[in-house]
Amino acid sequence: MADLEKKIDIGDGAAIPDPKDKGLLSAWWIALIGTISLLVLLPLIKPDPYGKVLQFIPDGILVTFEVTILSISLALVIGLITGLGRISSNRFFNLAASLYVEVVRGIPLLVQLFYIYFALGRFVRVPDIVAAVIAMSFCYGAYMGEVFRAGIKSIDFGQTEASLSLGFNQRQTMAYVILPQAWRTILPPVGNEFIALLKDTSLVSILAVSDILRRGREYASESFNYFETYTMIALVYLLITLILSKLISNMEHRLSHYERR
Amino acid sequence: MNAAESIIQIQNINKYFGSFKALDGVSLDVRVGEKVVVLGPSGSGKSTLLRAINKLETISSGSIIVDGHDLYDPAEDINRIRMELGMVFQSFNLFRHKTVLENLTLAPIKLKKMPKAEADQLALRLLDKVGIRDRADHYPLQLSGGQQQRVAIARALAMEPKIMLFDEPTSALDPEMIGEVLEVMVTLAREGMTMVVVTHEMGFAREVADQVVFMDQGAIVEMAAPDIFFDNPKHDRTKLFLEQIL
Repeated sequence: MADLEKKIDIGDGAAIPDPKDKGLLSAWWIALIGTISLLVLLPLIKPDPYGKVLQFIPDGILVTFEVTILSISLALVIGLITGLGRISSNRFFNLAASLYVEVVRGIPLLVQLFYIYFALGRFVRVPDIVAAVIAMSFCYGAYMGEVFRAGIKSIDFGQTEASLSLGFNQRQTMAYVILPQAWRTILPPVGNEFIALLKDTSLVSILAVSDILRRGREYASESFNYFETYTMIALVYLLITLILSKLISNMEHRLSHYERR
Repeated sequence: MNAAESIIQIQNINKYFGSFKALDGVSLDVRVGEKVVVLGPSGSGKSTLLRAINKLETISSGSIIVDGHDLYDPAEDINRIRMELGMVFQSFNLFRHKTVLENLTLAPIKLKKMPKAEADQLALRLLDKVGIRDRADHYPLQLSGGQQQRVAIARALAMEPKIMLFDEPTSALDPEMIGEVLEVMVTLAREGMTMVVVTHEMGFAREVADQVVFMDQGAIVEMAAPDIFFDNPKHDRTKLFLEQIL
């Protein structure tokens, strides 16, 4: 059936390996093996500074994941509400959701980060990491809203009609019939957004949040080993996104079980 | 026809799609246990009429009363009315993310608060009836079209509706699978179910229908018992249609 083939493609995350695509799969392996080798070999060959950088950034990795996971969770909630708003027949709800998406899409993430950080700072004193999470999820919620909207719209209208004809109302139809199916279409782009978000959290290092990049900058400004530090940081980010993209592709494969004959 | 025994009363309904008149002053009564087969060329409004009965299609004017409930009375809950109206679609529309069994039990469990064990039992009994009990754990896309449509019939029956609506149930099927679906429908008819069927299957109409309705250009042209309808049609448009199709 043709509508099963529909995929939402938002290409700002890392390339998610398709198990059927042997070319990309081997590119993934080469990148993974290369990254791991460099991460092991460089500190062995030159413990100072490569080894020292690696000892310096682990708490940064935790912070990066903390910001990413909190932001994506919040962004998913905002995205679901926004997506439902964008397809809603309620004009106010629809307009509010569309306006939000328009505004967020038109402003660079870094500017939004600064804006929300300092705007929040005027009224309430929140920890830097909270401000970072609010800013990231505010921005990503809008993109996620588009993902949800496209995912919901990709489900054949016959599914809605069948559900309504049984006596389900619109809300039940969405909860029991449409969203569980849309989730499968939505997962790849959500995975993409997750990886994109993880990379974009490097921007919050500017807001005094001690993520991977921030920890690296701290080390580099003390030791003046800029090149070596950023080499290691780039490799750490790469390793994380490579592993995540593989996990997401596996999860997606598992979720498609009911389509296989 | 006595209105008191009618379970569906359609009075002078009109429906516009933009400036196109899809239904033009249609009136139809269906009595309890009656089987009405609606025939007509494509675009004649027969599917629109059927879909108006459970309000998947809203009408521009006129009135529809189902089992004593006026579909356009704001005090009525359309979702409750729809529970009495099973519907079978041309494209099956089974829930793809649910197994065959779950397709049948979802509505009874969620809407009637039926205990899962009881719903499972009901579902298996219905699957037995449509002859696919052995596929209860499969997903819809693992079944053939004919099997899917039989599951779709069973899914509608799981809500124990008073009326069954069929919207060209065999039109999307390969020829060799039409028979198995019609067989289930004939059985259902024999058991006394009230049915409104939009179809192109003339054999089914002749065998099962109490009334055959012929529609053209959004209006009912002719309505008669099948022997009269097929052997002695009154209107020229009906004769022309039957000549083309038989």
